[in-house]
Amino acid sequence: MNRSISYKTIAGLIDTGGKKRSKFTSYLGLCLGVLLLLVAVQMFININQLIKDKNPRKNGYDYISITKNITNQNMGQDNRFTTADVAELKKQPFITDAAPLISNQFRVKASAGNIIPFSTDLFLEAIQNDFIDTLPPNFTWQQGQVTVPIIFSADYLEMYNVFAPAQDLPQMSAATISTVNINLECYAPYGFQTFKGNIVAISDRINSVLVPENFLTWANKHYGNAENVPAARVFIKTTDANSSELLNFLQEKDYRINKDKTKFGRVKQVLQAIVTGLGSFAVLVIILAMLLFSFYLQLMIARSKDNLQLLITLGYSPGWLSKTVSYKWIPVYGIIIAVALLVTQLIQFFFRHSFLSARETLSPMLNWSVVGLAVCLFVLCITINYRLIKKLLYHL
Amino acid sequence: MPLRYIQIQPLFRKKINFLINLIKAAKVIRRLLLYLRFMKIILQQVYPSFLDKELINHSQIWTKELFFSAGENIQIVAPSGSGKTSLIYFLYGLRNDYEGNIFFDEKNIRSFSPEDWATYRSEKISIMFQDLRLFPQLNGAENIEIKRALQPFHNTVEMINMAKDLGIQNKLQQKTETCSYGEKQRIATVRSLQQPFEFLLMDEPFSHLDEVNRQKSMQLLQEEATRRNAGIILADLKPIEFFKPHRTLYL
Repeated sequence: MNRSISYKTIAGLIDTGGKKRSKFTSYLGLCLGVLLLLVAVQMFININQLIKDKNPRKNGYDYISITKNITNQNMGQDNRFTTADVAELKKQPFITDAAPLISNQFRVKASAGNIIPFSTDLFLEAIQNDFIDTLPPNFTWQQGQVTVPIIFSADYLEMYNVFAPAQDLPQMSAATISTVNINLECYAPYGFQTFKGNIVAISDRINSVLVPENFLTWANKHYGNAENVPAARVFIKTTDANSSELLNFLQEKDYRINKDKTKFGRVKQVLQAIVTGLGSFAVLVIILAMLLFSFYLQLMIARSKDNLQLLITLGYSPGWLSKTVSYKWIPVYGIIIAVALLVTQLIQFFFRHSFLSARETLSPMLNWSVVGLAVCLFVLCITINYRLIKKLLYHL
Repeated sequence: MPLRYIQIQPLFRKKINFLINLIKAAKVIRRLLLYLRFMKIILQQVYPSFLDKELINHSQIWTKELFFSAGENIQIVAPSGSGKTSLIYFLYGLRNDYEGNIFFDEKNIRSFSPEDWATYRSEKISIMFQDLRLFPQLNGAENIEIKRALQPFHNTVEMINMAKDLGIQNKLQQKTETCSYGEKQRIATVRSLQQPFEFLLMDEPFSHLDEVNRQKSMQLLQEEATRRNAGIILADLKPIEFFKPHRTLYL
């Protein structure tokens, strides 16, 4: 077949007129559908990105503290986690690991010596080392060692800095607090012993005053005469703090979770559900638009049936005809999808500038997968169009 | 008469004879090569499944073994209703309600895909339909151009010259639906000559033409067929006076 031959040669023989309204309605529908789908995907990505930044993650894991719900009904009971409870948590497929936070079973008093005239009753807790986000190498203790390393909660430091000025105490930075010498007085029924506390790290994850596990086990036995103490708090390690399975399980067991950490998870769940719904709706709109367009194509081919038949009789290849006729819509689809992509980009700009504070980081550009999706949709439209025309032509 | 001249003449004659023989041999070899290379049509006991047995039995084509090779002009004379148009349609792949087999170059045409037919129709077989099959909404030139563009054998100037030869140059810009049947026949004739072909199928091509135009058309068709070393298969109700067939078959 002559290679220089083009659609122009046969343009006059194909009746593309007729139902102009149905043609443009399908174009508009396709444009809106593609726009909705692209926006939905971009928003899905935005939500993921924004909410991921809220959770202090370590190696892709979320660490969440859970406690048993204290209500008026169970107030008098022991609401701590037994070893069996912890084992059950560990067994769940959506929980990678669980570790109890052991607390002190004796009285601890802390004072900061002469520089900061401050003294308070304190609690100490301990947890497996791999649950700690900021673990310095010197966070160890051996029996007979007077200095006890402490990991201090960032929240507590903030709290201290709030009330310190009112108490005529100096405010502290995270760096200077490690230089403060803390005296830990551990009380046993027969007296007390003083250890030197040394803050070696500040933790964002664990709201507590952490000491090495072996120190607390030893001290509980030594001063409180307690062994295998049930924990009031358990930390769980999971790949997705926002998985609905996890949230449902915790709800079923009536465990209280650190709301602050999963709050975004809940919001994310709801938002993603909405966006997914929007995306599905968009797919439906695209399908309907394509359907409407296929009716238009069928009508066009039916109206030009005699001419197309004669062209094939004269020696025009049906394959060439379907290719040539369907390629005519490449620019149309190209423009439709480019417009949808452009509007999605504008919406992304607008979203970033209007709804987000300066602190939040979100790329003003579309995610590559959205652009990829647009390209896929373009190819899909052309392919469907080509196959449809080919089918119609071979059945003339 | 000088001696030298007498001696040379027989030698010269020998040389000429040798050259003539050489040319003759070359012609034979060329024909042989052409025969090997060019398209062949074989009809193997073909007859339309819908035709009366009576008509089939008296035919020189139906149920017979026939062999057409490119370069051969075949005249098919057929009264109305003997299946003349059906035969042309079978050969052009528009109908296949026949018994027996038709082969193009050893390939059974029943197995042809639409794409195979497109190739044959644009490169090897041209046709002039009895009902002409022009696009009524296009003018003469556009109708011819649509065929020419597919597989151009002539340029536009040659195309216009052909139209001039047949006296339809002023019909080129006129919509064919407003042309007379005789004019349309001439447009269809020019259209059928725009592509390369090895066989030209014609079904009552000159039914609405006067003697002068019949002669002009036939002359053009035969010139064009010779240019391509192609054969013409012409089917008509009675023999055409200006057509010089190699064979005449009665359907």
